[in-house]
Amino acid sequence: MPDDKFEQLRFELTRGGVAQVYVERTLLELSEHYADLESAALAAGFGADEAARRAREALGDEHALAAAILSRRELLCFEARHPRVANCLHSAAAIGAIPGLPLIYCIEHRPELARWGVAFSLAVTLVGGILATLDWLIVV
Amino acid sequence: MAQTNPPFMSGVPELLVLRMLSAREMYGYEIVKAMRLITGEAIGFGEGVIYPVLHALEETGAVKARRKAVNGRERVYYSLTIKGKRRLEHLSGEWRRVSAGVNSALTGTTGEPQDA
Repeated sequence: MPDDKFEQLRFELTRGGVAQVYVERTLLELSEHYADLESAALAAGFGADEAARRAREALGDEHALAAAILSRRELLCFEARHPRVANCLHSAAAIGAIPGLPLIYCIEHRPELARWGVAFSLAVTLVGGILATLDWLIVV
Repeated sequence: MAQTNPPFMSGVPELLVLRMLSAREMYGYEIVKAMRLITGEAIGFGEGVIYPVLHALEETGAVKARRKAVNGRERVYYSLTIKGKRRLEHLSGEWRRVSAGVNSALTGTTGEPQDA
């Protein structure tokens, strides 16, 4: 089967939610199967084009094949098998990540935050010192 | 109580694949060839559909797969597990029961289906 046919099948399977491990396995096995069929046809005396046509025909229509694979629920990934549960888990993960985002931001921007922290502390100390001095002078 | 027969409708490919694998370890192309030979090409299907059947059986633990390089080609060989043997026995029994029922209907006899 020509590669573009496999790409179409890969697209259909991926879009349909088939687990990636089975997408790759299916394409590998179909590719080998096609090569076996083509070799058998060539060995039987058919020309290259006819052998390819026969191999493609024997392997079956790729849309029917995609439908056969997609009808197997056990081959689908978790998100495709349990979309509502997956959505809930994704939402929970997103909600859980929200409080963590500032922390992650702080960790990633440590040097800048340290510089700003030192500058802010110095400014507070200086202003506080000036105010305290003025206060002391006024009181005295 | 009436029994439903889901394997009659959807278990035939599984039954045939398990039967082929009960003889020896095989890869997809070999299974299809053996199936065509043993059934006298009575069952027509696009050969590619053997793979979702195999993968589903693997997912349920009835068969196990292993990759093997043969003459520079990467083959995925399948073999039957203990669970697969039990599944084969179950499906074979179901098939014999349903088949006996259908035969009985075709020959016009009435009453309980007979075991084949």
